[in-house]
Amino acid sequence: MKIVMKFGGTSIADGKRIEQVIDIVHENIRGKNKVILVISALAGVTDNIITAIGKALSGDQEAITRIIEKLKLDHHRLAKEVVKDEVVLDAVLLELNELVEEFKRVIFSVSYLREVTPRSRDNLLSFGEKLSASIICAALKADALKVKWLSGGEAGIVTDDHFGAARPLMNITNQQVKERIGNLLDEGIIPVVTGFIAYTQNDVTTTLGRSGSDYSATILGAALDVNEVWIWKDVDGLMTADPKIEPLAQTIQRISYSEAMEMAYFGATVMHPKALEPVAEKNIPVRVKNAFNLKKPGTLVMEEKLVKLGDAVKSVAMIKDVALITVSGAGMVGTPGVAARVFSILSENHVNILMISQGSSEANISFIVSRESSDRTVNTLEIALLGGDTVKDIISENDVCVVAAVGAGMKGIPGVAARVFKAVADVGVNVRMIAQGSSELNISFVVQEEDSVKAVRALHREFRLDKSEIT
Amino acid sequence: MRIIVLGFGNVAQPFVKILCEREKELSGNFGLKPRVVAVVDRGGAIVSSSGLNFTRILEAKKLGKSVAADTKLGRPRTTGMEIIEEVEADVVVEATPTNIVDGEPGLSFIKAALKKKRNVIATNKGPLAIALPSLMELARYNGVCLRFSGTVGGGTPLLDLGKKCLLGDKIQSIKGILNGTTNYILARMTEARVQMDDALKEAQAAGYAEADPTYDVKGIDSACKLVILANWLMDRRITIKDVNISGITEVTLNEIVKAEEEKAAIKLIASINGGEASVSPRLLPKNHPLCVGGTLNAVTFTTEFAGEITLVGHGAGGVQTAGAVLRDLIDIKRELSL
Ligand SMILES: NC(=O)c1ccc[n+]([C@@H]2O[C@H](COP(=O)([O-])OP(=O)(O)OC[C@H]3O[C@@H](n4cnc5c(N)ncnc54)[C@H](OP(=O)(O)O)[C@@H]3O)[C@@H](O)[C@H]2O)c1
Repeated sequence: MKIVMKFGGTSIADGKRIEQVIDIVHENIRGKNKVILVISALAGVTDNIITAIGKALSGDQEAITRIIEKLKLDHHRLAKEVVKDEVVLDAVLLELNELVEEFKRVIFSVSYLREVTPRSRDNLLSFGEKLSASIICAALKADALKVKWLSGGEAGIVTDDHFGAARPLMNITNQQVKERIGNLLDEGIIPVVTGFIAYTQNDVTTTLGRSGSDYSATILGAALDVNEVWIWKDVDGLMTADPKIEPLAQTIQRISYSEAMEMAYFGATVMHPKALEPVAEKNIPVRVKNAFNLKKPGTLVMEEKLVKLGDAVKSVAMIKDVALITVSGAGMVGTPGVAARVFSILSENHVNILMISQGSSEANISFIVSRESSDRTVNTLEIALLGGDTVKDIISENDVCVVAAVGAGMKGIPGVAARVFKAVADVGVNVRMIAQGSSELNISFVVQEEDSVKAVRALHREFRLDKSEIT
Repeated sequence: MRIIVLGFGNVAQPFVKILCEREKELSGNFGLKPRVVAVVDRGGAIVSSSGLNFTRILEAKKLGKSVAADTKLGRPRTTGMEIIEEVEADVVVEATPTNIVDGEPGLSFIKAALKKKRNVIATNKGPLAIALPSLMELARYNGVCLRFSGTVGGGTPLLDLGKKCLLGDKIQSIKGILNGTTNYILARMTEARVQMDDALKEAQAAGYAEADPTYDVKGIDSACKLVILANWLMDRRITIKDVNISGITEVTLNEIVKAEEEKAAIKLIASINGGEASVSPRLLPKNHPLCVGGTLNAVTFTTEFAGEITLVGHGAGGVQTAGAVLRDLIDIKRELSL
């Protein structure tokens, strides 16, 4: 089997964790598996770099120096702990020093100019992954394994130049990755690739945005046609509900790509939807596993026809921190284009809309936005829409939540919505607004914030998610 | 609409009061939902992104405290510049004290706000007199409005009349009495035959003159207003340096009595025509339309088509100026919803 394995920052946080990574690699090699490792930055390092950029922008060079020292110290300490061979250790310490020096040069130039472009920002952010990949590589090498670490760009991932959230050019990437990583694998070398970062066509460093390391793993997996992509996290996998809200929540064993993406949209998953795209196209299964509890089977995200549909609903999600905005006015009835106007204003102002509903009387439109953007949204709409004859009022309610039931099993099965709303009504929760996506993978609705936990638990119970198969 | 208010004195306080009192009307008639998100005075700032409630703030201000003294929302020592940088807003109202030497702090505030693409309403003449051509260019370049109705004529809509009611016509010259305090002083000298010092004391006692009347009596206040009129209405890119200024300090009671005998009066006249801009005491026949008494202002526009138009009205007090700020605010809201 050929497997891409991605280790998140907490999964390589200390000596014990890294020894476990080495064990996992050994085990797979004994099992005649070929592995490609994708490594995130150590936990907290990316945040430290972001802090350093902030300090650079205000010209606070003392603070930058402190952060750099800590960066160096932390990585040195970890390297000394896990690299069990003098020669390899000396080499990696030297390598770490060089990386830190390079980082220092870039960040100081930012601090002189007091300006950071998206391009230099990506360059700075890339150091976290380079430092950690270098250590993991050395640790494996000291353990008599043949390894080589490469940056995502060196591995062959090419993206557009949308710095900060670059998208891969998949065909070039496929070809280059096949060549470069393929060659290493043929020579029996284990590739250790930095997650999160890539190159433009001109070899300028880019980053893949949120959950970027997962994305790197699936891009590599797709390019190499691997059998599986394994994402090591610090949770058991995808859950039937947030265990902090519903203590009876279970790990979902198998789930389809589209269900997982739907859950991600509702903030419930550990993986970003776009990270699933490359593997979904090629039906490569993704295994989400807990690096802190190897015995747990984790969740397998895979092609829909291999997934047991089970009951209609597979997971119940909740988005907190949203606001319900209602645009109303009797004059809106029969006036064409009000909704279009509202949504074009919102998109011009980069307001992301999570849910929409329009009353059939047309006298109002309601929609959900993140709570943090609600003041700004209301203000923008007031300036643009009030004062004419159509829109009379724009109000926002900040004490609401979105609850969503997700599952491919509800497709084409009548009565699921009725069950959802009966269950919620039975516990005395009032539903403020309803939406069902045309994909029919979810039914979502808005409730008062104080009712949200009750609603989640009612659905969890109604669809017997506390009893979903666990092995 | 989110508003930052810089300076919280005789103009800004009635302004926020009007916003509260007229809430329904502003929203119903103009679709205007004003939210004052920050106020700054010398002691610091008070900030709330969802809009401040003023009952408590006005009370505290009455007791002589800074707005920053508020325990929950106050930010002691935070400056106007910091607030302009940090607080998201649509409009900045600049109402700090006039300074004709370097325009500060208002000039920096207005520039920073325009660069940050905030619409600006100024009541403070200093920055405008010193740099109006640059400020107008900065506003245009950044695609925002710069309005200052409150700086000239107070409640009398001098700037709007010239700009909006004479569309297509051309103003060729402007001449008038732009300062109520000096007009009052000259009128008292004429009526009561008192010396200038006494007339000034009377004006101060009646609340028509500031404790420091220098800008008024030296003609500087009139010159500032003339600069604003010339830029706004005649596209003349001048600043206060381009105005020949002499105030009323040299005018004697004797001269006034003599004028009176000739059925004339001495008035502090600001004028600009094709050529020079000036402020100086001049002799006007008693029956001249500009020959108004008391604290009145009067301005004659000479236009290409309409000929002469004279507007007479009261100059500014805090409330009138606050009303002018509101006019500007409604105007900006209209611009923004286009
Ligand atoms: N009053 C009128 O009738 C009238 C008419 C037309 C135009 N204007 C112009 O409008 C402006 C405001 O007039 P006003 O009568 O309201 O003046 P004011 O009563 O003296 O108020 C000035 C305000 O500005 C604040 N301030 C002073 N320096 C500051 C700084 N560096 N940063 C932030 N705030 C500062 C003061 O703070 P504190 O409260 O802490 O002292 C005060 O709140 C002046 O330029 C004036 O010429 C006034």
